[in-house]
This record gives sequence, C-alpha cells and structure tokens, in this order.
Amino acid sequence: MSIKVVIKKSTYFDSVSLMSLSTKANQLPGVEQAVIAMGTEMNKEVLRNVGLLTAEVEEAKSSDLMIVVKAETEELCDKALAGIEELFSKKGETKGTSEIKYATIDSAAKSIPEANLAIISVNGAFAAREARKALENDLHVMLFSDNVSIEDEIALKKYAHEKGLLMMGPDCGTAIIGNVALCFGNAVRKGNIGIVAASGTGSQEVSVRIHDFGGGITQLIGTGGRDLSEQVGGIMMLDGIKALDEDEATKVIVLISKPPAPSVEEKVLAQVKQCKKPVVVYFIGGKEEAVAAAGGHFAKTSKEAALKAVVLAGANEDELNKRALNWPLIEEVRAKLTPEQKYIRGLFCGGTLCDEAMYSAMETFEDVYSNIQKNPDYKLKNLHESKAHTFLDMGDDDFTNGKPHPMIDPSLRIARFLQEAKDPSVGVIVMDFILGFGSHEDPVGVMLPAILEAKQLAEKEGRHLEILGYVMGTDLDTPKFEDQVNKLMAAGVTIASSSTNAGLLAREFVVKGA
Amino acid sequence: MLHVRTLSGDDGFLRRVASGELHGSVHSLFDRTINIHCEENGELFTIACIELDNGPNTLVVDRKRFQNMGIAVNDPVSVKADSLIIGKALSLTWQHARQWECVLPVYPSSDQKLRENMAVIKEYVAAHGKSGGLKKASSPANVFEAEVSSLLIARTNELYHALAHGRWSEACEFAIGLVGLGPGLTPSGDDYLAGLFSVYHMPNAPCCLPYPFFEKFTRGAHQRTNEISYMMIKKAAIGHVRESMVRLLEAVVNGTPEEVVHSLGNVLGIGSSSGTDMAMGLISGLALQLEMGGNVCLSKS
Repeated sequence: MSIKVVIKKSTYFDSVSLMSLSTKANQLPGVEQAVIAMGTEMNKEVLRNVGLLTAEVEEAKSSDLMIVVKAETEELCDKALAGIEELFSKKGETKGTSEIKYATIDSAAKSIPEANLAIISVNGAFAAREARKALENDLHVMLFSDNVSIEDEIALKKYAHEKGLLMMGPDCGTAIIGNVALCFGNAVRKGNIGIVAASGTGSQEVSVRIHDFGGGITQLIGTGGRDLSEQVGGIMMLDGIKALDEDEATKVIVLISKPPAPSVEEKVLAQVKQCKKPVVVYFIGGKEEAVAAAGGHFAKTSKEAALKAVVLAGANEDELNKRALNWPLIEEVRAKLTPEQKYIRGLFCGGTLCDEAMYSAMETFEDVYSNIQKNPDYKLKNLHESKAHTFLDMGDDDFTNGKPHPMIDPSLRIARFLQEAKDPSVGVIVMDFILGFGSHEDPVGVMLPAILEAKQLAEKEGRHLEILGYVMGTDLDTPKFEDQVNKLMAAGVTIASSSTNAGLLAREFVVKGA
Repeated sequence: MLHVRTLSGDDGFLRRVASGELHGSVHSLFDRTINIHCEENGELFTIACIELDNGPNTLVVDRKRFQNMGIAVNDPVSVKADSLIIGKALSLTWQHARQWECVLPVYPSSDQKLRENMAVIKEYVAAHGKSGGLKKASSPANVFEAEVSSLLIARTNELYHALAHGRWSEACEFAIGLVGLGPGLTPSGDDYLAGLFSVYHMPNAPCCLPYPFFEKFTRGAHQRTNEISYMMIKKAAIGHVRESMVRLLEAVVNGTPEEVVHSLGNVLGIGSSSGTDMAMGLISGLALQLEMGGNVCLSKS
C-alpha cells in the first residue's frame, strides 16, 4: 500500500464543496481511502488513528487543506491525486481548459471571425452586459447565467430580434446547434426535426425520444424559462419558430414549454398558423382545442410529441416500436403490493420529468403533492416530509440552495430515497437518471448501494418495494446507456422506456381494485 | 466597479465602517461570502449574499453570488467616501442597512414548553439531520469519516459529563479537544461548541459557566482550527451566534412545534453537516440545562 499527500497552503473551500469533492475522490479508480480536510491538529490525530499520518501531514497548518490518498501502488496514488486535482480545477470553473483564452468577447470575436455563437456563463450581474457585447459582435447568444433582470432580458431579446440573432436565455441550460450539444444535452442523431423549448430537461427528453424512434434533430433552440411570460412575450420562441420555418433542413418543428401566459400562447399559436411546416405543440398540461384551431399538432406527453414529430417527418408509424405500456407487468406489480402500499414517491433530477409524472398521477389521484405544484392546496409545505403521492423536483432551488444540482451531486436524493423506502405506505419510488453532457459520470452507479439497501430493508419487513427507474439517454451518450440500464435491472429495478411511461407505470402500479 | 447595498448587518460592524475603522485585505472568497481581515483588531469580517442570515461581524448585501467578480485574496479593503471598497471591483454602502444585534432569548421560568420542543428537535434532527459529522452515517465514505464520527461522539460525551458534574476546568479541556475535529471548513467539533455555547449564554439559564472557562477556551482554541472557524467559536464563546441559531432558540423557548421545525430547517441547511452539528450542540446545551435545572449552577465570576 502507498500513501501520498498534497498540502495546499492557506486554501479554503466551503464545506459543501469539500464534502462533494471528498465523495468523488473516494470513487476514483484504485483509491482505497481519500481524505480531503483542513490541517487541524485534531484532524491530524484522526489520520494518525487510521494509519494515514505522514511527515507532510504533520507539517500541515490549520488553515492548509490536506489531500491524503491511499492506494495499492504509488502509480495509482499519483493517478488519484491527478484525478483529485482535476476535480479541484472543475470546481474552480474559471480556470477553463481551452487552448486559447480571451479576456473579452470583443477580442475573441476579432480573433475568430468565423465564430457565430457565444455561450455566456458569468455572474448574473455582468451577464447582460456580456450578452449585449456578443450581440453587438453579431454573435448568437446562449446565456446560461441566471439572476438577470427581466428588463435586461427583454432589452436583449428585442435587440437580438432587430439584428436577426438568437438570444437563448437567460437561464438557458440546453441547446443543440449544428449537432453540437451545448451545456446540458444528449448525443442525438442529426435529422430533420427542429425544437424550440422553454424547458431544459423537457427538450432533452423529446430529443432523446426522437432519436429512439429513429429520427434526428436539426437544431434545438432553448429560450430560457421566462420567455413565455407575459412580460417577455415569447420573443425568442417566436423568433425560433421563424428561424426553423426558414431553415431548409428542418421539416417539422416541435415546441415545448410549461403552459405559457394566455396572451403569449395566442401569439405563439398565431405564428404556428403562419408556419409553412407542421408544428407539434407540447405545452405540459395544456389544452388541445386552441392548438388544433391554429393548425398545430397537439401532444399531451413528451413521447407523443416525439412520435408525432417523427411521423410528420416521414417515418412509417406502423414500423415504429412505440413502447406501449407493459400491462402484464402492471398486473404483476399490483399483485405484489399490499392494500396499504398505495402511494407513489417521485424523486427527480429533471424538472419537466417530475412535472410530467406528476400530471400523469393527477389524472387518477387527487392527493398529489409536490414542491412544484401549481395548486397551493397541494404544494408541499414541509419539504422534508412526503404526503400521500409526492413528486419532488430535487433540482429546484428548494433543494439546491447552497448545494450542487442532484444531476452532479446525488447525496441529497440518496438520503431522501432511503427515507421514502422506509415508509410502509409507499408502493413505488420512481426516479430519473440523466445521461449526457454536463451530467454525473455514473448516475446509476452512485444510487445502487442505496437501492440494494432499500430492497433488503423492504424484504426484511416482508413487503415488496417497487423501484421504477427511467434512464434518459441515447445509445450515443456517455456513460453507456445500456450499461446503466443493465445495472439497474440487475438490482431489481423496473425500467421505464420514457419519461411518459415512467409516469404512467408509477400511476398504474398503485391503482387499487382495478 | 460594482456598487452594492447593505441590507442588514451586525451593529458592531456597521459602527466600525461608519467610523472608518476598517482597513485590511481580502482573507478568503467563496460563492456567497467574502471574508475580510481587519488590520485594526485582527478579526475577520464577512460580507454575505442576500440568501444568508445575519451573524456576528457580518454584513448582508443585495447580491446573490460573488462569483467571477474580479476580487482576489489579499486585495486591499478600506472605507473611502462613505463606501467600503473591496479591491477594484466592489463598493458597498451601508447607510440604510437594518441593524442587527445578537440577542439570545431569556431562558423560561417554566420549562414545560421547552421540554416539549426539545422532543420535537431531537426527533427532527434524527430524521433529517445530515450525517458526516456528529450524526454518524450508516455507511461512512471512508475510515477517516468513521473515525471522526467516533471521536466526536466520544469527546462530546466526555464534555457533557464534565459539564453535568460541574467540573468546568476538565470540561474546558474537553471542549478544546473538540476544536478543529472534522473535515469541513467549520469542523464539526467547532459547530457543536457554537451550538452548546449559545445555550449557556441565554439570560437566566439555570446552569452557567464562569468567565475564565470561556477565556481559557478561547486562548486554547486559537491555533487549533482555521481562522474562519475560530472567529465563529470565539464569538460563540461570548454568546454571539448567527441569526438562524437565535431564531431556533427563540422558537424552542416560546414557539409552536411548527415554528421549531421551520427554524430548525433553516439551521440544518447551513453548510454540509454544520447546521446539524450546531443543532446537536444546542440540544446538548438544553438537555444539560433541563437535567441540572439549576442544581449544579457554577459561579458566574
């Protein structure tokens, strides 16, 4: 065994980051023990007790950060330390890894005259200024930053509109432009379907389903979550529809959003009416009549949106595997659950995936609670305790304040999962596992010990606990989609083939007396 | 230069900037806080984002984050023309800030409600507290974490018993033995002590600790933890803790179980396991007060 130590002089990281780094460091290949802690006398004493004290550790001061790694060989130690360094650099995002660094957008635009898009992820206080600079340089903008005022958003979008540029965001986390996923996105086939979306994980899901049905994407244009509000008026969605309508490669357009403000919905549907191309409209929880009147194709679910899009784009519907609900499985699970096991608990990383599953449950049950419920009567008051059917968007600010997003740090979801698993009134726990750019490198792997623990606990108590998983990803994603699904199945998790099916299966599993 | 407004702040800090007595440099930077080292008194002062609560030596400003602002460690800090200037990037005004002072609630004459609320806190922390510090994880991440938890439990027990038997000199040694124990920026041992000390400084608390206890503790703790955490326990040793802790104590003394759970939720959200460790210190402090009921009161002088 070999032990190696790095001491970072006068280095401070907040506790949440340190815990997250420490968890990841212990998962690095070849690492038997990894400790990241402040160099206090007490911590050094602990290291002595566990056989990790070295001369370097003894020298550390209480304001120094100690990184101690124990591994089989010296080489593995070095590798692990390099891996930890990489984690630290990822944490200090400003360091970046590009070969050339530009101090300003102006200098970057000057040096790369062929560039036509800028991704901006700076503090909200400066984001609007940087976005304006990019637009002034005739660059389309994807603005990842949030905390931009609505006045700035409107001004930027109006300016971009005048210049014929895209202003995606603020708070836009997903786009696929020229077959390249930006920020959070999945590896999907190039095709003839264009998407305009005000919903990040919703657009990821539709793009993944389109890929699964054999179709492909031309462009996925994000608008930012506030675009369809009364104040912003859907400026970006209207421009996005127009851009895709004029794009020769795009044959079908898909729109995705939570229900827009009524006046904005009218404007968007008026634009749909003008379109030369078929438009599929998926406004989560939306109504069919208005969409049909505008000549659009209404979709009630993300799967239906993808299916309609690929059929309109030329696929033969009869040849598609529509991944129908597995009714024999539903009957089998119903038979395993006791009459007391009547509730669903949904623990989601993706907001739209949570929303979709919640809406499915609301079609059958009344007592559906969530931190993102629109109905105040069913908005969860105590986030730490579930009530009846509960669906949690764990990526919402309610849970991420001061903590990393669950797509990156799963610890909060793991703890909540174990809590729900102990509740004898729970019949099914449903979870999403999001693959792709920007996500955790092994979202299933980190949940597996907890899943096995929960299964054992339920078995010991003589009840069946149904765990339903949905892996959102394609065969082109990293980590491998198939491996992630196989790991879940080996742990006794039932796999849903889409976000839509995850919601429907969860609902049907706990229907009693059907 | 970005101009920000102070929304509220520690009255001592506000007086200091108003009198212009704050020269120093940036000590450390985080997403939501900037710590300043003050040349005049050697203490750390904190500029905190809007989401954080008031606390000793802290100003809360109307920003959500301090990332990528162009501020660096060792940047100069000074008061100029009614603004606190940090490096070349940030200027703070404080003239309309709400003054905050740490005022701990009075220990109640009847402890019935306190006993009921104690049961609520204990149950809630057991169910929702974060493991990794005093609350032992069912499967610790590594041997270090397991050993830290074991030591924390053993040493807090020793401290508890010494306090319960009025052996304050021994208790002080045990308290110093907890300082710096734990991996986080504010080690779990420090967080626990901050919670415990807050109870002992409640006016009319039946059990009290003599001034030399805290004096000796503060001296002994100085080099045993990092400067940021040391400021926290140094202030807690004179009864100054952050607002969320004060609110929790108020709820425990006077509030309904719902109010206790709400305040406790805010404390448990602090740091990684810091809030849980503080709450456990507070539980120990209150348990000691209830168990002893004033029968083992130590001299205040």
